[in-house]
Amino acid sequence: MENAFIILFGFTMLYVAATSRLAAHVNVLVLQGMLLFLICMSGMNEFSLLNFLFIAFETLVIKAIVIPAFLGGLIKRTKEYRDTEANIHHFYSLFIATVVLFGGFLISNLNFPAMKLINPLYFGVSVAVIIISLILITVKHKVISNVLDFITMENGIFLLSLSVAKEMPMIVNLGVLLDLFIAVFILGLLVKHINTKFDDMEVSHLSDLRDCEYVD
Amino acid sequence: MLISLLLILPLIECLILFLLKKEWLNNILILLYAVIHFCISGYYLVDEAARFGGKYFNIDNSNIIFLVVLSVIFLAVAIYNNSYMKLENVEAKRKRHYTYMLLIFAQAMTGVIISNNLGLSWVLVEATTLASAYLIYFSKTKTSIEAAWKYVFICSIGIALAFVGIILLTIATGELSSLNFYDLILNAKMFNHFWLKLSFVFILFGFGTKMGLAPVHFWLPDAHSEAPSPASALLSAALLNSAFFVILKVFTLLVIAECDSYARIVMLVMGFLSLFVAAVFIYHINNYKRMLAYSSVENMGILIIGAALGGLGMFAAIIHLIGHSLIKASFFLTSGNILEIYKSKKIKKVTALLNVDKKTGWLWILSFLGITAFPPSVLFISEFLMIKSMFRQNHYILAFLFVLLLTIILFGLAKVVIKMSYGELDGEKTQELQENAKKLPFTMYLPQIVLLSVVFVLGVCIPLSLDELIQLSIFGL
Repeated sequence: MENAFIILFGFTMLYVAATSRLAAHVNVLVLQGMLLFLICMSGMNEFSLLNFLFIAFETLVIKAIVIPAFLGGLIKRTKEYRDTEANIHHFYSLFIATVVLFGGFLISNLNFPAMKLINPLYFGVSVAVIIISLILITVKHKVISNVLDFITMENGIFLLSLSVAKEMPMIVNLGVLLDLFIAVFILGLLVKHINTKFDDMEVSHLSDLRDCEYVD
Repeated sequence: MLISLLLILPLIECLILFLLKKEWLNNILILLYAVIHFCISGYYLVDEAARFGGKYFNIDNSNIIFLVVLSVIFLAVAIYNNSYMKLENVEAKRKRHYTYMLLIFAQAMTGVIISNNLGLSWVLVEATTLASAYLIYFSKTKTSIEAAWKYVFICSIGIALAFVGIILLTIATGELSSLNFYDLILNAKMFNHFWLKLSFVFILFGFGTKMGLAPVHFWLPDAHSEAPSPASALLSAALLNSAFFVILKVFTLLVIAECDSYARIVMLVMGFLSLFVAAVFIYHINNYKRMLAYSSVENMGILIIGAALGGLGMFAAIIHLIGHSLIKASFFLTSGNILEIYKSKKIKKVTALLNVDKKTGWLWILSFLGITAFPPSVLFISEFLMIKSMFRQNHYILAFLFVLLLTIILFGLAKVVIKMSYGELDGEKTQELQENAKKLPFTMYLPQIVLLSVVFVLGVCIPLSLDELIQLSIFGL
């Protein structure tokens, strides 16, 4: 069951790569948050209430509700609904994402001694998710899509941390969560300010700071 | 107890400011924290027996130098900031926000240096990014938004990759279920080499982003040039060191596990790339604050090269770190004076600095002499030792490249500093600028004078106790 959720998690990235609608992108974040919760639950060996509450808070409340709601509001406020002028056509990003995800599955099937220390499927899919997110950050043109892809990358890293059976101390977990939350919040605030100061939300407009004066 | 005071005091101060909302509190609170910070780290420096290791935080031989450097820089910045903020005409609310963020920024940097747990260090490094984002965005112009956006975004991605490195490191640790540095060092010999090497690449690139190493330094010139000068000084002279500290800690694990040869190559490549990038950009620079930022990239490159060389190189790197922090803080603070007088960051708009304001002009020239390692600057000793270390290890080509790139950077810096300091202006303009210079109080010169004096005294004679402390810190790392 656990594996099915992980594979589904990997497939959500294909949808992210193919769609230009930012609202759909936010919905994927909700889905990913829920999937991460299910993955945690089905992979849990022993049940402890504190742990359960923390995971539920981290995945369901923060990742599936608070962050998507915040970004959804941001999209409405800035009236940026689509990221149409990506550097490469959506078909090609879909193709690249598929190849990377396939590569991730291949990594899961690698069989050498060092791989015995981890859970291969978690590892392969999370590496693929992180790489796809990084590629999408470079491909997409709107600042909001960059924030969205940053969060999918964080979700990938969360999955990667699950591939190691060991747990971090609670203080570290809380700190990581707090940092992610504040980072998204600050990026959101900056997006709002970019919206008021700049004509539109294209990343390419953020290029006033440079060392040489170019003559276009 | 004292150690918790370092971490809790800024939060209490923020609370006081939040509740009272009095404008005169802003500077007093920053100064109070800086003075207490300075006293506490001075106490730990003098009293060896008082140093200790806790579960999450510790002060020992390895981090005491970093802590003292941070304290000195923070105190200098706090004194300068006192007058700087009085000159800034901004509303009270923004000044308060600035104070909150400056306090939390200093607290997070302290936390990174004294934290004993790799996971916690990560959390605090990210916290420094988030706190300093506001400082960069302080002037609320189009360019400062751009700088803040790039800073938060690039650093967050870099730091996220460092977290991947930490996860990979936990895979490498095998049975051990702890990220405490003591536990890691004790068990480093048993780590899985494949995962350890892989994790180091991510950690080096992740924290290297924060440290400003090429090729992941892009946020640095933008952020340093847009932030108010006191914040730039803190960013350059204190923040970059804390990221370097974390890299050093993890590098130690590789040395103990005996798989460091490959890590050294990666570090050398990044170091020389940083020198190269700095040389290329400083040569054609048009903004003097960006020039200082690229000089930071250069010096971070030198630090990582020293660490990669090991032994004598490492010793040189620690001396370089001390010298660079003091000089760069002075350089950035002086650039703040220039900005106040000329109201422009463009190099072509600044000329005849010595005619307009002698003190600023000389501080500018002395900072330049310090950073380019003219004897008796302490950086001369560190760079000399580094070249010696390269010769000892038969890296003749590297030594040649090192000297060549440093010379190009020296030329680039000298061109700008000479152009800005000397030259003629017509009488009316000079008088107008001199009026601006008269507004600067003595506390906007004092910190730089003290910092530079320390640098040049250290260059003549490094006290035996400092020498021993550096040896111990290398051993502790």
